[in-house]
Amino acid sequence: MSALSAPAPGRARRTRAVVAGLWLIALVIFVLFPLVITDSTATTIAVYTVIFMAATTAWNIFSGYSGYLALGHAVFFGSGGYAVALAARDWHFKGGWDVFGLLPFAGVVAALIAVPVGLVALRVRRHTFVVVTIAIFFIFQLAALNLGFTGGTSGINFPIATFPPATYNNPFYYIALAILVISVLMSWSVRRSRFGLQLLAVRDDEDRALGLGVKTRRVKLIAFVLSAFPVGMLGGLYFYFLGQVYPQFAYDPLFDISLALMGFIGGIGTLVGPLLGALVLETLQQYFTQSVSGTGTYLIVYGVLFLAVILLLPRGVVPSLAMLWQRRRVRAATRAAESREPARRGDMAGVAR
Amino acid sequence: MDISGVSKSFGGVKALSTCHLEIHEGQINGLIGPNGSGKTTLFNCITGYERVQSGQISFRDTDITNARPDRVFALGIGRTFQLTRLFARLSVLENMLVATQRHEGWLRSMIRRAGSASERNRAMELLDFVGIAKLAHDPAGSLSYGQRKLLELASMLVADPSVLLLDEPAGGVNPTLIGHLADRIAQLNRAGKTFLVVEHNMEFVMGICHRVTVLSQGSTLVSGTPDEVRSNPAVLDAYLGGEDDPSTPQARQPVRRPMLRKREVLGGPEPLLTLRGIYAGYGGGDILKDVSIDVPEGAITCIVGPNGAGKSTMLATISGLLRPRAGEIRFDGRVVSGKTPGQILDLGIALVPQAHSLFGDMTVRENVEMGAFTIRDQALVRKRLAAVQELYPIVKERADERAASLSGGQQRLVEFARCLMLEPRLIVLDEPSMGLDPQTRQIVFDMVALMNRQGKTILLVEQNARAGLKLSSHGVVLENGTVRLTGSGREVLEHPEIGALYLGGAAAGAAAP
Repeated sequence: MSALSAPAPGRARRTRAVVAGLWLIALVIFVLFPLVITDSTATTIAVYTVIFMAATTAWNIFSGYSGYLALGHAVFFGSGGYAVALAARDWHFKGGWDVFGLLPFAGVVAALIAVPVGLVALRVRRHTFVVVTIAIFFIFQLAALNLGFTGGTSGINFPIATFPPATYNNPFYYIALAILVISVLMSWSVRRSRFGLQLLAVRDDEDRALGLGVKTRRVKLIAFVLSAFPVGMLGGLYFYFLGQVYPQFAYDPLFDISLALMGFIGGIGTLVGPLLGALVLETLQQYFTQSVSGTGTYLIVYGVLFLAVILLLPRGVVPSLAMLWQRRRVRAATRAAESREPARRGDMAGVAR
Repeated sequence: MDISGVSKSFGGVKALSTCHLEIHEGQINGLIGPNGSGKTTLFNCITGYERVQSGQISFRDTDITNARPDRVFALGIGRTFQLTRLFARLSVLENMLVATQRHEGWLRSMIRRAGSASERNRAMELLDFVGIAKLAHDPAGSLSYGQRKLLELASMLVADPSVLLLDEPAGGVNPTLIGHLADRIAQLNRAGKTFLVVEHNMEFVMGICHRVTVLSQGSTLVSGTPDEVRSNPAVLDAYLGGEDDPSTPQARQPVRRPMLRKREVLGGPEPLLTLRGIYAGYGGGDILKDVSIDVPEGAITCIVGPNGAGKSTMLATISGLLRPRAGEIRFDGRVVSGKTPGQILDLGIALVPQAHSLFGDMTVRENVEMGAFTIRDQALVRKRLAAVQELYPIVKERADERAASLSGGQQRLVEFARCLMLEPRLIVLDEPSMGLDPQTRQIVFDMVALMNRQGKTILLVEQNARAGLKLSSHGVVLENGTVRLTGSGREVLEHPEIGALYLGGAAAGAAAP
């Protein structure tokens, strides 16, 4: 699972090559998807799916690695949407590729918001932290409903995107894919860095990490801000795709829960888990809403799936499978060792206990 | 390092009162003292995990009173925890790398890979030094207890601290590994490291330390070389409980058996509870090794022994919280080992755990009623509540107050009241006098004697061995998970070996009876 568990250098290099190859193949598939499957329903689903894959990955950079369950990332998502909508309106953007240029701005806005939010929320731990993030989320929803510049309940319209109807979804798809790539690279580099190690240490035992010289407050805050940045960009993209942004949708509690759900099902704290969780869940959800005339059937399927994963693979699909795999390998290794030198085990156990 | 006049209290309980301690550079300093004497609290205060209320802690002329843990660590003071704490889901090597101190901006720390080649090599060297290099790529959570202790020590060494505070490094570790650990500590000390070691294993402390300080009830009792400390009578008193206790009048009377049954009259005292060949532990090896004892009906049986002897483990095994790996427990002739705590409670064995088991935010009455929540018959509950209130007026007087607002001794009484609600036949008390001043302790012991006179069989574990054994008709001495001595309370109390047992030299001591 981790880059550090590398017993033999030759085998490790081979494993690394295989992993890199798989990532490349996945990327090629995602790049080619809208070119091969041009059906607009399918590409619409694809846009949403890629957005959620990126958002869950970004959420995981904070919540997955630090173990702090944040249920308020809709704050960054919605604020990114508003940032782009307001800027596009006030600066008279034409509506087309130019609006995408505002996405980094949306990311910066989200990151700036994350600083005070993080300073407040990260003062507490565990359940209290979860509750505080939810409370902050509702503050933002209320503010969006009542402040003048957000347009109240009716929200703000984006300039109409002037893309050719046949491939209308493609620009959105590729921008989303670009943000996904950025998020995955961020998540990957955090995971292998010293900073990431400190985050994981906070997750496993915050007090002990503090005792080993980890500046836990700073580490947590930076991770929080980092994870807000892509989510802000995604918010801008998402609401541009929809054409407008209004409070109930911008600051949507379902968004918070979706990220956590997708993260948990895939396996939080891993690189691939959130990607897999979002890929499966968002595709399913969109498929059901679009094709089964959305009477809520999907919610039942959703629920059953979630229950099954929680009961059978409680730590998420990816970590649970990794554990099973490791256990099998260990068992095979001990069997091999036993058959080789059965006599030595006795005194070894004495020292190791 | 110099610690002067440090005080710390939790609520109304004083954990440390004007405690003084000097840690001499380049030496191995030992810190010992009975349970609850404030050793771990002192550690927490030094390393910034808890704030002190008064006093000063300085390290090489730098004032570190109430500094944050990361700062204390950066100054070169590392610590381990009593119950090992490590990052369970990280690999052993990653655990080591967390502690590497590198002064770089956060941006760089995010981009650069964790652990440069030299850092990894150093980490591996240290793992090799403590002897767990082979496990470098295993998740830390899969290590055994002893290995965790070694990893904790090694991970502290990564940052090369000049002072190492070890909280019970040998606790729960097997003898081979203890030797290995002592060896490593001595080696590090020769390389110039200063140590402060809290430890209950006296042999270990006396063997490796240059100086030993004894803490008792939150303040320093004596300080000196191991030999000086060992021969100081005040130290033995601190462990065994003061000699100045007013002796309990009932103590020397013969066994009271108000609920005699016919077969007992015929066949002599029939044990109510028997343990036969019990082996039990918490996954990291057996703590109890072949323990067999009898608890006679209608008597008070007291289990004493140094810390880490397995007393609490034994109570956990009896009450069903811990399933024995081997052996059999019988209660009133029925096998109870393997039953759930609920079933065992229903059979009539009630455990009053070590301190603070009340629900602090509930009222006293609610707490007592909780003791009977399995009883459906409300009339019966009311009847028992009335009986308990008569026995313990405090349950009535302060019925509507929050349990947490009571003093330690009062809380104990409420705990007794709660356990009586089920009218158990056997009451198991885990250190009823812990954290109590001598006067309150006497009240609590009087209540124990009273419960016994009213027909309850009592099994108690007591840190204050003298007071506990005086109260009891039967005594059992446990050491390193095995029974060392049994006999009447008085026989055990007066046995010449018992002092040696508490202050080390047990290994050299006379053969077990």
